[in-house]
Amino acid sequence: MTKVLETDVLVIGGGAAGTNAALKAADRGAQVAIVVKGLLGKSGCSIFAAFTPYFTKTDEQARRNRWRFMIRYYNHYLADQEYCARMEDYMCEEFYPDLERLGVYWRRDAQGNLEMINARNRSLVAHKQGATGPILLEKRRREIQRRALPLYEECAVTSLLGDGERVAGATVLDYRTGEFFAIRAKNVVLATGHSDYLATRATGTREQSADGLAMALRAGAELANLEIQWWHVSDVLAPKSWMRYHLYPNPLMGTLETSRLYNSAGEMFYEQKTHSPGASAPYTEQLRRLCLQVQAGKARWDGGYTSGYDHIPGDIIRAYQHQAKVWGKLGLDVARDRIECGITMHMRHGGLNVDTRTMATTVPGLYAAGGLGCHYLGGFGPASYDGKVAGEAAAEDALRRALPRLPQQALEAEAARVFGFLQADAAGPRPMQAKLRVRQIMWDLGYIKNEKNMQAALAALQEVREQSVPRLRLQSASRVWNTGWLDALDTCSMLDACEATVRSGLNRKESRGPFYREDYPYVDNEHWLCRNIVARVDGEWRSRQQKIEVPHLPPEKNREPFFEADY
Amino acid sequence: MHLRVYRFDPSVDREPRYESYEVPYQPRMRIMDALDYVHEVLAVDIGYRWLCGSKKCGSCAVNVNGLPKLACWEPVQERMTIEPLSNLPVIRDLVTSRAPYEAALAKISPTLVRRTEYAGFPEPLKSTDVAPTAHLRECIQCLACQSACPVLRTGDTDFAGPALLVALSELAQDPRDGAERAALASDVANVFKCISCYACEPVCPAEIPIVREAIEPLKRMAYRVGSTPGARRAHAFLDTVKQRGYANAAAVAARSGDFGLGALGVALKMRRRGKLKFSDALGGRATPGLEGLRRTYETSEKEDK
Ligand SMILES: Cc1cc2nc3c(=O)[nH]c(=O)nc-3n(C[C@H](O)[C@H](O)[C@H](O)COP(=O)(O)OP(=O)(O)OC[C@H]3O[C@@H](n4cnc5c(N)ncnc54)[C@H](O)[C@@H]3O)c2cc1C
Repeated sequence: MTKVLETDVLVIGGGAAGTNAALKAADRGAQVAIVVKGLLGKSGCSIFAAFTPYFTKTDEQARRNRWRFMIRYYNHYLADQEYCARMEDYMCEEFYPDLERLGVYWRRDAQGNLEMINARNRSLVAHKQGATGPILLEKRRREIQRRALPLYEECAVTSLLGDGERVAGATVLDYRTGEFFAIRAKNVVLATGHSDYLATRATGTREQSADGLAMALRAGAELANLEIQWWHVSDVLAPKSWMRYHLYPNPLMGTLETSRLYNSAGEMFYEQKTHSPGASAPYTEQLRRLCLQVQAGKARWDGGYTSGYDHIPGDIIRAYQHQAKVWGKLGLDVARDRIECGITMHMRHGGLNVDTRTMATTVPGLYAAGGLGCHYLGGFGPASYDGKVAGEAAAEDALRRALPRLPQQALEAEAARVFGFLQADAAGPRPMQAKLRVRQIMWDLGYIKNEKNMQAALAALQEVREQSVPRLRLQSASRVWNTGWLDALDTCSMLDACEATVRSGLNRKESRGPFYREDYPYVDNEHWLCRNIVARVDGEWRSRQQKIEVPHLPPEKNREPFFEADY
Repeated sequence: MHLRVYRFDPSVDREPRYESYEVPYQPRMRIMDALDYVHEVLAVDIGYRWLCGSKKCGSCAVNVNGLPKLACWEPVQERMTIEPLSNLPVIRDLVTSRAPYEAALAKISPTLVRRTEYAGFPEPLKSTDVAPTAHLRECIQCLACQSACPVLRTGDTDFAGPALLVALSELAQDPRDGAERAALASDVANVFKCISCYACEPVCPAEIPIVREAIEPLKRMAYRVGSTPGARRAHAFLDTVKQRGYANAAAVAARSGDFGLGALGVALKMRRRGKLKFSDALGGRATPGLEGLRRTYETSEKEDK
């Protein structure tokens, strides 16, 4: 018999969204349990957040700039604008006090004034190793421990359990011990993030295999705009483990200077200050310009171009001690040298189709918070807001209802699936090989898409699913920290998520933001300002569109050539 | 490159063994890249932990040729024997349990206990107020320092270890915090068990001056409070030196009231080896030149105030 625990609200994920969902649900008086595949506050992409935007309501010009940045450049008009207004209120009123109360110190000068990044959109930093996310999460982690909320770390949720009507809990594999158990819950908040390690080069942390998307898909939830997938352009090429080290293209603190990109001939082809002064997170523009270089044979997606700060006076750039240390560790001088870069698959705009007033998904009892949603690109602050909304809504609802029945059959079926992979054979093939293959397929599909290469990717994914997965064998059948076992489960999630993503891409017949189809090389606001939705019902793929309202800031043109649009 | 990796699965193996792998060198390669190669290309299911690969999560530290290293940060070496961190239980292969660290952390009340009610954002605070903890805030809890600590290696479970002291010291030196950090340092974390050997500092990937900026401030704080056994011992030590110009175990024990059975056992053993005279507890001769030493005491006491 599988052990079953019970709780009001089950939170899955230990990043910005999950931690806040847990704290806010507990504030509302609900019983909370948290399951984290990595370590809480040390996993997921929240730890990469370098700075957090700082909003005040008084300055009207600043507000207009921010909206333009947020809606046009950051979300390519795909954001829920009413959500944006509510999220801004949260950022103005709650986000900073909540965290500062716990002891976070945002950098100040000797007079006590907050130090800000001098961009159009002001940001603050509270650095640990050059990033703000780790400190914010360290404080939330300790608060969660202080309140003794049940926390299961290095435990992977493997499926959502439904009783036919609503989600009734989830199954969990504690991969340190191999114990498999279930948590029965009145409501589930899924907060598994949006930066997954799905391509050969990706910003996702090691454990991020899009489990959340895959589990929700299997539970019948709708997924939207998965194809709007960001890529970083200026990430370190070698060593491979450092592909998540980012040379920020936006202004550095205390100066308006930004890094530059150079092609293989040494010609500068991108500088934020010059090429997209309005954009302040100019990733899509960087990508388009790199694309032109690649097409001209002057760069590759995995190298052949460099980034650096050598145009900035040495005393200014050396003040960025963390950057200087990273470069120094490679024997380079941040003030003189350049680093070869490659692109990395970054965060995904799309995700679960949610009602942003509660973060409820299309499956009753299932809420999605943070990067996993489809309504906003992400960010530490917005993900925290989502966590609050989902945590509070899930808690309030849970306090009014009884524990749902646990679907015993589904539970046993999932146990059989999970333990089915625990078969050893000296010959293999090993799960890691299948995992690498999926990453290669998505890497090869890359940035420039068309009907043909997406169909080819689908076929290749199908082949892994049918040919490799059933034959996967582990090196040992041990239940204790069996890397191969986890790799097998990860591969299944990755296949589901990647298939949904490619199908979603095939459906979108335009280009937008980081999504470029050379067979539809224009932005089409008339037909594609929508949530482009896929779902799998009884094994059948369904799709539909849900219009996105643009009440506060509509796009200026209905249709424009992709390479001429600036967003 | 030649890797010798510690393999141990407590669910099936009776004892640990080492497996060797040949890994081709790639430019700028980190230790983690070599382990990934074994996992990905050689398809070996070694248990090893990492999450971010960029010195943020602090989860990948391992011992390499006997020294703790953050695998994502440090370059590879031609020949590497890779083992799990010391002073922590092994889960499997290179993965150690963080549970002892977490349990010890919980005991020092690791959240800010505000002196006065929170004033709202931004609260009045200057960079100079928090300057003493600037380096401590860089700690990513990789536990390399715990692994290098010789006091922990003796199996002493009372001593919290350097990583815990960094966390505690950050709070203790926070002008907003009002908890009894000195007592926690002395009685719960047993800060006086730190022998200031500095073994922790060179292995810290965050380059935190652990002894100087975390542990010594805690010792000073606890010394001033003075009521705890650890602090009494420190006082006794300093006082005997001040009085006679040298330390002597019997006098320190007598003054700090350390008459436990354990202490007596140690004392008897020391006496047998001629390292201790019980009569020293009562008096003993002063060394020549004591005046100079006392002047040093006075200056440093003045500076401390
Ligand atoms: C490189 C990079 C730089 C960024 N820079 C910034 C910035 O400067 N400022 C900013 O505001 N934002 C930034 N962002 C965006 C921001 O970090 C994210 O939008 C936000 O933190 C997402 O938080 P989240 O909680 O939704 O997901 P995540 O932080 O990704 O958390 C996901 C959690 O889910 C867990 N999980 C996954 N699968 C399972 C499972 N099966 N079972 C249980 N748990 C599971 C993971 O272990 C992890 O704990 C950046 C993102 C990246 C990738």
